[in-house]
Amino acid sequence: MNGLRIGLLLLALMGCLLLGLLAGSVSLPLTDVWNGLWHGGGAGGAIVRDLRAPRVVLAFLVGGSLGVCGAALQAMIRNPLAEPYLLGLSSGAGLGAVIAIASRAAGPWAVPLAAFLGALAAVALVYRLSLVSGRRLDPHVLLLSGVVVGAFAGALMSAVMVLSDAPGVRNAFLWLLGGFGAASWRALAVFSAYAVLPLGLLFYHARSLDLIALGDEAAHHLGAEVDRIRRVIYLSTALLTAASVATCGIVGFVGLVVPHAVRTTFRPLHRTLLPLVFVAGGCFLVLADVVSRTAVRPLELPVGVVTALVGVPLFALLLRRTLA
Amino acid sequence: MGGLIFTLRLQSRRLALWAWFLLATAAIGCGKAAPRSPEQLRQVDDAGDTVALVAPARRVVSLIPAATELLFGIGAGSSVVGRTQYCDYPPAALDVPNLGDGIKPSLEAVLAQRPDLVLLYNSGQNAAVAGRLREMGIPHARINTDALSDVPRLSRMLGLLTGHLRGADSLAAVFDTALAQATVKPASRRPKVLLLVWEQPPMTVGRGSFLSELIERAGGENVFSDVTASSGVVSIEAVAARDPDMIFTTSEGPAAFASRPEWQVVPAVKRRRFLGVSGSEFERPSPRSPAAIRELANRLREAGP
Repeated sequence: MNGLRIGLLLLALMGCLLLGLLAGSVSLPLTDVWNGLWHGGGAGGAIVRDLRAPRVVLAFLVGGSLGVCGAALQAMIRNPLAEPYLLGLSSGAGLGAVIAIASRAAGPWAVPLAAFLGALAAVALVYRLSLVSGRRLDPHVLLLSGVVVGAFAGALMSAVMVLSDAPGVRNAFLWLLGGFGAASWRALAVFSAYAVLPLGLLFYHARSLDLIALGDEAAHHLGAEVDRIRRVIYLSTALLTAASVATCGIVGFVGLVVPHAVRTTFRPLHRTLLPLVFVAGGCFLVLADVVSRTAVRPLELPVGVVTALVGVPLFALLLRRTLA
Repeated sequence: MGGLIFTLRLQSRRLALWAWFLLATAAIGCGKAAPRSPEQLRQVDDAGDTVALVAPARRVVSLIPAATELLFGIGAGSSVVGRTQYCDYPPAALDVPNLGDGIKPSLEAVLAQRPDLVLLYNSGQNAAVAGRLREMGIPHARINTDALSDVPRLSRMLGLLTGHLRGADSLAAVFDTALAQATVKPASRRPKVLLLVWEQPPMTVGRGSFLSELIERAGGENVFSDVTASSGVVSIEAVAARDPDMIFTTSEGPAAFASRPEWQVVPAVKRRRFLGVSGSEFERPSPRSPAAIRELANRLREAGP
């Protein structure tokens, strides 16, 4: 890593954030955006200050968090297919959201809160199932438990959707497809307060991830407490992902592919990989959100759809070029 | 043995009686006041298929709430032998067996009612069911019930198929008059209305949708009339930019989303300008639509500019 690369990365970061502020379903000239941002007045003051700014920052934080979760899980489970939603989280969150809608739970925060609780319940179940012989978290059992708990929660979710006669229960999937339409400074504050601890823990254990990636025995000989680190990493990624699902639904693809894209381009150690993935994931999601807001104005595309539609071809290209 | 012969003879007598009756009616038919010939019981449904009946339908499974309402409206209510879980009007419809939500219905449940006509909503999801019914030779029609103009049109179609043409004609005539009377003449400045049909994410309906028609006829203006899709997710930013005067919701009282911080950018939310309605007359085109329009017009007038 040299100064030039870091400089380029920061430049890309600033560019993404600026683009996020400029783009939207309403066209605002640069001067209006600038004035609105700093003075709150003008034609689009409220739009820029209360809608776009928190939305861009939230998309960046969520994208970064999902990317870091993916990178950490891939190293911890030693499986390139590992991603934040693999561990039953997304179906758990979906089940929570659908139950909230089907039971006509009132209140402005009912659906996100229920999704968060559903995700946590799935995490707790997967965690309990994967603890073998006392306190050891087996990566293979973890993967399998995640898949079966996810399948079970998914089946329950479908059953509730079919049986419920609540109006709009079929719209639950729209919420789950993901989007930052409900971003606000308060949502940003809640997510940030929530994300600080798990993100800090993941960054702190970056060196241990390099060791674990070598294999349990090697890591153990090099002084890493493999079992404890594995538990910490699993719970941190789970909490972080649950918080992001509650904030913006299920945004797939970021956690799976951004870490791989960064790895194939830079091949760094986890100490530098995690910050790089954080920035790259954040920029990627901000850009995807820009597309979701502007592609079919005044309608919005679910951002999860955009991340896959834009990301998959990009990643395929990257993969082919590295292989060649 | 004797009993058996007696029964057989009785049956043959009954058969003879039937044959006589049929011939007689046919003769009367040839003579005067012709009953409908099979050609007249032929209709092209909204999927482009021809529905042919040999006699007016007497056992109708109606898997569309709007069609159920119309059947009762034209006097064919006693012929309805199956409905969806959403068919809640008129109250008498609730006595009809409930066959589920009407989308991709269970064929067994439909067949158990021994229908001579099945009404399906014209959507891609029902195409397979229509195919199976065709294979089994059960008459069925796929119909659209998305616009106010469907009410008189379908009323006549169902009137023909069930032999209640007179009831259908009068329903259509009354509907057209009532609709014309209920429609508010567009004022110079119409209140701008956001039709919010779902809150998370915010979903609205565009031009040509039934709710949009209702609000326009009630003197309002749909702020998303440029959206041509029947419904779509919109951003709060777009809502704020279009600055609606009123927000139409299908929940009574101030909706839960109104207290969320991101919505405070919309002045109508901040000022709690909600037009909440409930009731199935706001869910589908029906003979009750003119009354629904009048209610909306009154509420818009009361709310003022």
